[in-house]
Amino acid sequence: MADLAAIKGTPEFPHPLESQVNLFGNVWRRFLRHKGAIGGLIVFGLLIALTVFAFVSPYDPEASSLSERFEAPSAAHWFGTDALGTDLLTRILYGGRISLAVGGIAVGIALIIGVPIGAIAGYYGGKLDAILMRITDAFLSLPPFLVLILLAAILREVEFPLFQRNSVFTISFVIGILSWMTFARLVRAAFLTLREMDYVNAARALGASDARIILGHILPNSVGPIIVEATLQLGYAIIQEAGLSFLGFGIQPPTPSWGNLLSDAQEHFIRYPWLAVFPGIMIFLSIISVNYIGDGLRDAFDPYKMLEKVGEYT
Amino acid sequence: MSTMYRTLALLTLISVSMLSLLGCQTTSSTPTTNTTDEKAIKIVISEDPPSFNPMVADTGFDALVMELVLLGMTDVDPNGVVFPELAAELPTLENGGVTVDEEAGSMSVTWKLRQDVQWQDGKPVTADDVLFTWEAIQNPETGSWIPGIDSIESVEQVDQYTFIVNYSAIYPGYLTQFGGEQIAIWPAHYCDATQGFVAWDCGRQPLSDGPFILQDWIEGDHMTFVRNEKYFAAGKPEIDKVTVQIVPDDSVRKTMIQQGDADIDMWINVNTINDLKDSDKAKVSLSPSDRFVMRLFMNQAEKGTVDAKAAPHPILSDVRVRQAIRMAVDVDTLNNEIFFGLGHPQWTEFFRPPYNNCDVPRPVYDPEAAQALLEEAGWTDTDNDGMRECHGCASAAEGYEMRMEFITYAEYGEPLELTQQLIAEMLGKVGIQMELTVVEGSVLWADAESGGIELSGNFDVDLWDDGYAGVDPTDFLWELYSIEAATPGYGWNLAHWKNEELDALIDEAYTLDEASRQATFCKMADILDQEAPVILLFTVPNADAYSSRLEGVQSSINDLVTWNIADWKLK
Amino acid sequence: MTTYIARRLVQTVFLLFLLSIILFGLVNLAPGGPLSAYGQGRRLRPEQAELLKRQFGLDKPLPLQYVYWLVGNDWTRVDTDGDSVADAPGSRLGILRGDFGFSYRTRQPVLDEIGQRFPNTIYLMSITMLLALLIAIPIGILSAVRQYSLFDFIATTFSFAGQAIPEFWLGLLLIIIFYVWLKNPFTGEPLLPPGQMSSLEGEFSLPDRISHLILPVLTGALGWVAWYSRFIRSSMLEILPLDYLRTARAKGASQNRVVYIHALRNALIPIVTLVALDLPYIFTGAVLVETIFSWPGMGRLYYQSAVERDYPLLMAVLIIGAAFIILSNLLADVLYAMLDPRVRYSE
Repeated sequence: MADLAAIKGTPEFPHPLESQVNLFGNVWRRFLRHKGAIGGLIVFGLLIALTVFAFVSPYDPEASSLSERFEAPSAAHWFGTDALGTDLLTRILYGGRISLAVGGIAVGIALIIGVPIGAIAGYYGGKLDAILMRITDAFLSLPPFLVLILLAAILREVEFPLFQRNSVFTISFVIGILSWMTFARLVRAAFLTLREMDYVNAARALGASDARIILGHILPNSVGPIIVEATLQLGYAIIQEAGLSFLGFGIQPPTPSWGNLLSDAQEHFIRYPWLAVFPGIMIFLSIISVNYIGDGLRDAFDPYKMLEKVGEYT
Repeated sequence: MSTMYRTLALLTLISVSMLSLLGCQTTSSTPTTNTTDEKAIKIVISEDPPSFNPMVADTGFDALVMELVLLGMTDVDPNGVVFPELAAELPTLENGGVTVDEEAGSMSVTWKLRQDVQWQDGKPVTADDVLFTWEAIQNPETGSWIPGIDSIESVEQVDQYTFIVNYSAIYPGYLTQFGGEQIAIWPAHYCDATQGFVAWDCGRQPLSDGPFILQDWIEGDHMTFVRNEKYFAAGKPEIDKVTVQIVPDDSVRKTMIQQGDADIDMWINVNTINDLKDSDKAKVSLSPSDRFVMRLFMNQAEKGTVDAKAAPHPILSDVRVRQAIRMAVDVDTLNNEIFFGLGHPQWTEFFRPPYNNCDVPRPVYDPEAAQALLEEAGWTDTDNDGMRECHGCASAAEGYEMRMEFITYAEYGEPLELTQQLIAEMLGKVGIQMELTVVEGSVLWADAESGGIELSGNFDVDLWDDGYAGVDPTDFLWELYSIEAATPGYGWNLAHWKNEELDALIDEAYTLDEASRQATFCKMADILDQEAPVILLFTVPNADAYSSRLEGVQSSINDLVTWNIADWKLK
Repeated sequence: MTTYIARRLVQTVFLLFLLSIILFGLVNLAPGGPLSAYGQGRRLRPEQAELLKRQFGLDKPLPLQYVYWLVGNDWTRVDTDGDSVADAPGSRLGILRGDFGFSYRTRQPVLDEIGQRFPNTIYLMSITMLLALLIAIPIGILSAVRQYSLFDFIATTFSFAGQAIPEFWLGLLLIIIFYVWLKNPFTGEPLLPPGQMSSLEGEFSLPDRISHLILPVLTGALGWVAWYSRFIRSSMLEILPLDYLRTARAKGASQNRVVYIHALRNALIPIVTLVALDLPYIFTGAVLVETIFSWPGMGRLYYQSAVERDYPLLMAVLIIGAAFIILSNLLADVLYAMLDPRVRYSE
């Protein structure tokens, strides 16, 4: 049996009224011990930096250069060129903006829908809970990828503010609207437990409004699982966009995304393999890194997990 | 029992029931042993044919398999020449098969059938079958629509092998009335008329009078056909067995033909043509004549409307703008770079024999002249943002930006997308900004009520490959350019361009007087060249890949590659 | 328990009814329509469009179309010949009487179409999921028991990788490796076929079946292995520190016995329910794997009908798929109650 005191800071059961800084400080310290998560954070940070600084590239991502079609990787074009002679590295960098944006917006939409529904259902309970959970069930009963295809087909043709044909927002919206249910369930479960806590009762007795209790007292303490789930969904959304692109329902060229770069490359897989390899690596790296980050966060938010690190059971 | 054992028992149960599926799987019905001297070929296509009747849902795959089992009165060869199939000879004015009543403006055509063709059950193919087919087609409840149907007054039987088609108008396309790539004659004694033309079972389990007989069809997987011993042409077909295998992914099909695992891959795109260039296992057959022309349809009505008079398009209703666009697009670059030079630049509808005798000069590629023309038309870029605005133009408000939505469809794949991108780039260089959209075919071509983009006029410029079947362009010209066809929800005059003079010429073209037709067509060519409601770019190659062990494969723009499958030989 | 199930079943019917209205609206109001599929080779003439609309029942207002779809139209008269006179009784029975209509594409009954594809999808998906479980369970247990060991690190990376590779990309890559590059050293033929359920020639043979299964199952299973092994790892991790295991250990049970008997049997409970929740995939199939590997399954059928706007087929797959999901949820809950003594449904 290991000495518990050997673990820095001892396993914590943070008091909810403890200052947020301290809470997240502890999470951060635990996160830093997860090597994979640190690696993931570095890789993902690099990817974001690369796409943000895509403009440094001397090439235009949407301008053709017909004399240089399908050139293999070289000093001038590190990742080679594509079917229109455009520098593939440049397209991948700009495509990263789109793919990461799709992931981010999709998760954002899922959060905006899922968290309030879960919070209200969990906090108030009763009829409201029943109704909201039936709606959640209804969405969960839809065959996910099938409805994704259907919605993508429908919404990409709709013209509406924010929903221009084939816009990035449309694709993100389609993915997001079909993935909020997990958040709703997670948040509801957390609220069901937390609303009975003493400190919540205390706040209520002191006359705090429902909104204040939900936003100020309960939500911050259920943020852990939400963040973990959000990182996983981010990776999932990037993969979904790629799958949709393959079926012809993703982001439309000439706007590059990792998904459409990859699906356009399939026709040239044997002859010009770099077209398929590089976007594939980018998708791979981004998803594996967010998954590691999610894994690290899960461990960091869950103090129980720290016990096992001591090797008590191995 | 402890939870553990219950859990394990449950898992075992699930596993066993899943594994047992391995055994009770629906297997292909009649496994045939492959004898060494059997000549078998494999055709790979991307999806199941819906049926053997292309008149139900025209996917091309139905016509492909129809050629294997069913014959029409006539068919069209790759050069556009009509040849008889079930017909003993082609009825013409010269041989008395066609009689015209000039005064009434009507005609009748007498068809004689070959007497040596029989269905696979041994019954002869007769005029009864033709009449039966006609009755089924024109049934208002379960029938279909075929070209020329509106002009047919009646079909009457003369004797067992002769029938007459009476037309209420002059119909130049009469030769392919009951033939061509789409229409077959169906067996009266086998098909159930009460099920209706579009839904009858014989459409999926056909009785053959063609070179092959359908043996089995595992949906989504494959179809097998065996040689029809009763096929009328002696000694044909030479091939014993044809398998049509469903392989949805383009790259996988290409890989299979490169590996020598497939003998035919139909309708390959230019990238595949290029990839197969050096293959020793596969060859590419190109159609000797062209049909589909990449073209820009320019909406003369404001986007989202269909009446060019009530709401003229702010940019495109000025003919100078259309001419400038034509001058700004470098057709040769598009054709040579994206289509590997396999297409042929075209600039008039009248490029297909026998109506290719009009003298229309090829438009020059001249971006400077295009810019000058745009300036003249009142479209200038005063704020130097690279995009022109209206400053004294004919049909838009002052300051209106020269920005348009440019649509094409997704199913064609990469070459069309690249073409669209390059055209947008070329137009961008002369100050016309194009916003690109790619939509599904089912949205682009849907009826207006369902939100069809073309029929509801919901586009500025639209790019795709269009052309006419058979040899007679008249119906096509009517559909694309007549005033009547610009009526909302009625025709396919997508440019919503109305021209009285051209309209009159289309009416004049409905005649059997070839010399007058030639003259009429050339007059039309001049008008279309001046007005440029639709800009033709280049023809797209029609190609099929075949394995090098096959001989006699000839891709045809007028039919599917299987049009002459009875003549194929295996090395 | 019985009352609980009965109540859930009633809810299911209600939920399906609601879903059917929403899906029917979505499918039909989507831009684009089935008629365009008929116009690619030759443009559809207005007369022809009218005819098709009548044959498909699209000439009716949408709410009426829904009613006909649900309960049929044999109780009323419809216009069949286009003279605007409702002159003949309708022929449809509606889905409540098991008539899902006919496919616009093939004019065959929708249930026949589904019936032809359904067994193929069960065949592929059940083997895929079974294999995934067989691989995932040991990986999950080991990486939980040896958390943060090298094995755990590799297994974790592997399972993250499984989720990070787009299926279509992996599928094509596998085809290139095993079909184009690698040859069978004895025959010189490609090592593995590029798709299809079986060879077209010859009798049924197990080796042939298996050789056709390898690539699609591998491609499909990778994601599932990742998903299940992560899940097993974390549910084992939740159980390992629990008091009763500590007690077992204190009473002198060996480490292996604790892990494999005491912990595993409790960790398996959520797995069983998870598998039950994933059962609907056995019906809906995997669009991407089926497309790449030419597998005649439900996913491809659905995709094709979505592209061609084959409304009756789309609706049937969606509704039956939703029913499968709801029933699997119920099954999962019931299994959970049966397997876990701590859970009891009141009422």
